[in-house]
Amino acid sequence: MVPGNEYAWVAQLRRGAAEHCVLALLRHGEGYGFDLARILVNADGLIASEGTIYPLLARLRRHGLVETTWRESGEGPPRRYYRLTGAGEESLALFADHWKVFRDAVDQILNEGDAT
Amino acid sequence: MSTADRTDVLVDRYLSDLDAALRGLPAARRQQIIDEITEHISEGRSGLQHDDEVGLRELLDRVGDPDDIAVEEAVDYPRPRTDAGDAWVPWLLLFGGFAFGVGWFVGVALLWWSKTWSVRDKLLGTLIIPGGLASLFIAMGGLVAIPARAETCTASGGPLVPTTTHCTQSGSSLSAVVAILVAICLLLAPILVAVHLERVRRRA
Repeated sequence: MVPGNEYAWVAQLRRGAAEHCVLALLRHGEGYGFDLARILVNADGLIASEGTIYPLLARLRRHGLVETTWRESGEGPPRRYYRLTGAGEESLALFADHWKVFRDAVDQILNEGDAT
Repeated sequence: MSTADRTDVLVDRYLSDLDAALRGLPAARRQQIIDEITEHISEGRSGLQHDDEVGLRELLDRVGDPDDIAVEEAVDYPRPRTDAGDAWVPWLLLFGGFAFGVGWFVGVALLWWSKTWSVRDKLLGTLIIPGGLASLFIAMGGLVAIPARAETCTASGGPLVPTTTHCTQSGSSLSAVVAILVAICLLLAPILVAVHLERVRRRA
């Protein structure tokens, strides 16, 4: 492992997980950046800070996993709402499967390590 | 300065820090992020019970370090790297001289252009040894042209005396040893420097 870079893998893992958590949050309907940011920051460390949601959302949009529409809000300027695309749903389902297998495998090995 | 002014200054400063952190990204992406964060902040402010400095500072803390946002954004837009030519540099410095010297100059240009190496490394790469291994060959060519041992012969005698020829050897085995040492240095020094530059590059 490269010294000084030992947490790069955590960032990678978190990034992949956070992207799919956003997709999961949009599963039941559209959402907008401000709300999504608050939820993910409150979910202990899934994103580093509220502001980092925007690059993440832009990435999901570029990859065609979400689409956006502008909508008037009651007060204030129009908001950009995010919605899952078909590709986004597929990606989420795939992630959910892999995540479960991955999590179980890692847990099992970590716990075996405890037992010895 | 009124409280309202001071909070606006805080927001402006945050946004200009963000703008600076996003430098190097495509202008459109940069503008979009700035717009989105601006909106996020004004949304957050409208939710504050008191739009005072404390509330705003807490809000900006939650929005996060501009550098974090820039790092997240750079995942898809790797910053234009100045080190694209880095991999070539050690090779060009070593062997570039054989391409009529041009390659070596390209190597030096890339070396100084890159941000991978320190000024000390750049000086090493430039000064040891100009021309790289080509310089060794040129120097060896010189050594061959000027023989290490030169024989000078003087003939003495005259019509009545048998002619004798005195030959003296000038140059000595010492100068040959020096020449070989110089050649070894010319060979090793640029190789060692190139290896060093390559190791710095790999570490970067």
